[in-house]
Amino acid sequence: MALGNLASVSHFLPEFAVTATILLILVVHVAGRNRRSPAPAFLALVGTGAALLCAWLTAPAGAGTGLFQGMVVLDDFAVFFKILTALATIIVIFMSIDCVELQDKSQAEYYVFLLSVLLGMFLLASASDIVMVYLALELVSIPSYLLAGYLKGKESSTEASMKYVVYGATASGVMIYGFSLLYGMTGTTQIAEIGRLLTRGAAPLPVMLAAAMVTVGFGYKIAAVPFHMWSPDVYEGAPTPVTAFLSVGPKAAGFAILVRFFYTVFASPGAAGGTWALSSPVDWTFLFAVLSAVTMTVGNLVAISQQNVKRLLAYSSIAHAGYMLMGFVLLTSVGLEAILFYLVVYLFMNLGAFYVVVLVANGSRSEDISDFAGLGTRAPLAAVALAVFLFALTGIPPFSGFIGKVYLFAEVIHRGVYWLAVVAALNSVVSLYYYARIVKVMFLEGAKTETAPLAVPFVPRVMLTLLVVPTLLLGIYWEPIIRVAEVSVKILTN
Amino acid sequence: MAKFVSSVDFANPYFSVLLLFVIGVGMAVTFVFLSQALGPRRYDRVKYDVYECGVDPFMSASVRISVKFYLVALLFILFDLETAYLYPWAVLFRDLGWFGFAEMAVFLGILVIGLVYVWKKGALDWQ
Repeated sequence: MALGNLASVSHFLPEFAVTATILLILVVHVAGRNRRSPAPAFLALVGTGAALLCAWLTAPAGAGTGLFQGMVVLDDFAVFFKILTALATIIVIFMSIDCVELQDKSQAEYYVFLLSVLLGMFLLASASDIVMVYLALELVSIPSYLLAGYLKGKESSTEASMKYVVYGATASGVMIYGFSLLYGMTGTTQIAEIGRLLTRGAAPLPVMLAAAMVTVGFGYKIAAVPFHMWSPDVYEGAPTPVTAFLSVGPKAAGFAILVRFFYTVFASPGAAGGTWALSSPVDWTFLFAVLSAVTMTVGNLVAISQQNVKRLLAYSSIAHAGYMLMGFVLLTSVGLEAILFYLVVYLFMNLGAFYVVVLVANGSRSEDISDFAGLGTRAPLAAVALAVFLFALTGIPPFSGFIGKVYLFAEVIHRGVYWLAVVAALNSVVSLYYYARIVKVMFLEGAKTETAPLAVPFVPRVMLTLLVVPTLLLGIYWEPIIRVAEVSVKILTN
Repeated sequence: MAKFVSSVDFANPYFSVLLLFVIGVGMAVTFVFLSQALGPRRYDRVKYDVYECGVDPFMSASVRISVKFYLVALLFILFDLETAYLYPWAVLFRDLGWFGFAEMAVFLGILVIGLVYVWKKGALDWQ
């Protein structure tokens, strides 16, 4: 059963590590004079590393222990997402250190916001109470608004922040209305309890309303169509490392809570092992299948005409949310494993692509596709790395993105949702066009304005290599990650 | 899809909530378009006044208000909420014992760091 407050403390180490780091950064910042000192970045790295390690050490969490009187739960599923988001944060911190755009901004606050989002993602991945879900979602969102508008002088950045706030406030308002309906029907805030009470027979209409309203909140977090409107503007205006962060971290955390919430509240373990059955009278899987198809189609089709690489990657990330949603609608543990595996692969290839965008934008101060012209000769390593990431994002065989897609497609076909598989396959073909366009510009078009070689310092060189290796390796040997994913979703079945 | 529609139960007590929602949205949208379509448009000097049906304006409405007020207001809300947490704790102080005391000490400690940060950043200086 759920542990009390005092007994929970020892199971809460990753969150404590992040909180302590946030406070420490503020204290060090206040004590020191230099607002550009590298200390905050260093502290943030150490703190996030410690949090990752703590999460790792608690890894065989088994079926889960409720903490803080059932507010959060520590299980393998939560641990998986904690490690994933902490890893994303570490890579983003390195990216931020290398980003010229951010260098004349106050450093301490930036990392405080970044780690606050990380703390929110930890809580979101492990929330087991609707109050906690709401709180964690806001903890992810509010610092994200600040991060999106971190380049105060830049008009597009301020615009990004403003739009993000308006969309975010509306989405979470609708979501909490849905929560209130669920609470009204069951009289409890525990999501496991709500699920149990709903199976005992509930009126379909309020359940349907609640499900739809909750979908708004989570759909906004994972940027699924039609709740994606904020993302292109936010992704374009925000500082590039923040864009990279938002497209991976909060999206992963959003998937975590989406899966945990819907598979606990609106579904119950089915007769056959590793499957679920709809427990509520509402067939939300069909709704999400349609959302998935629309999301990937809109993302890919709009990406074609983009001239700004950040905006292009924004639409591409919308499309990827659509692919991942395919695994969500099947009500099988294999489908969920495919999502988890895809998230790991997506983390490396997407952050990698953004890393190169940061390096190029450092030189040109803009992110137009034309700025990438001649990158093949100006910075061969970065260009080859970006080509690898883009082909992986497309899902071409030797790269990890392919394996990720194979798992998703295979399970969709296995469960007989052929139309969705066809839509997804067609979408992959479309995506090849715009990914390959960047590769073509890099290698086949000569540099127009800037012809001098682009200097890539030592640290980004190492980081790019470290991101390319898993992108390639997971395309050849992916067994361990699938095993981890299997263990992580197992807890949801019982 | 048919399954989805047939699952709607009109006799449900919650149906009224949905109805309220639909009527609410419907009315808002309808009235915006109705006033656009039916409303007479007579643009004269009175119409362009700052406040049509009140006292004649005697000065410009665009007065400059110092941006510093927002910071003060924001900080006030932040530290005001802190007392909202202190009250229930103070009422139950004896029941919560030392554990409650330690929890509150941690909470206040975090707030003090915030206060020091605000202070050092000069947000408390009016200048």
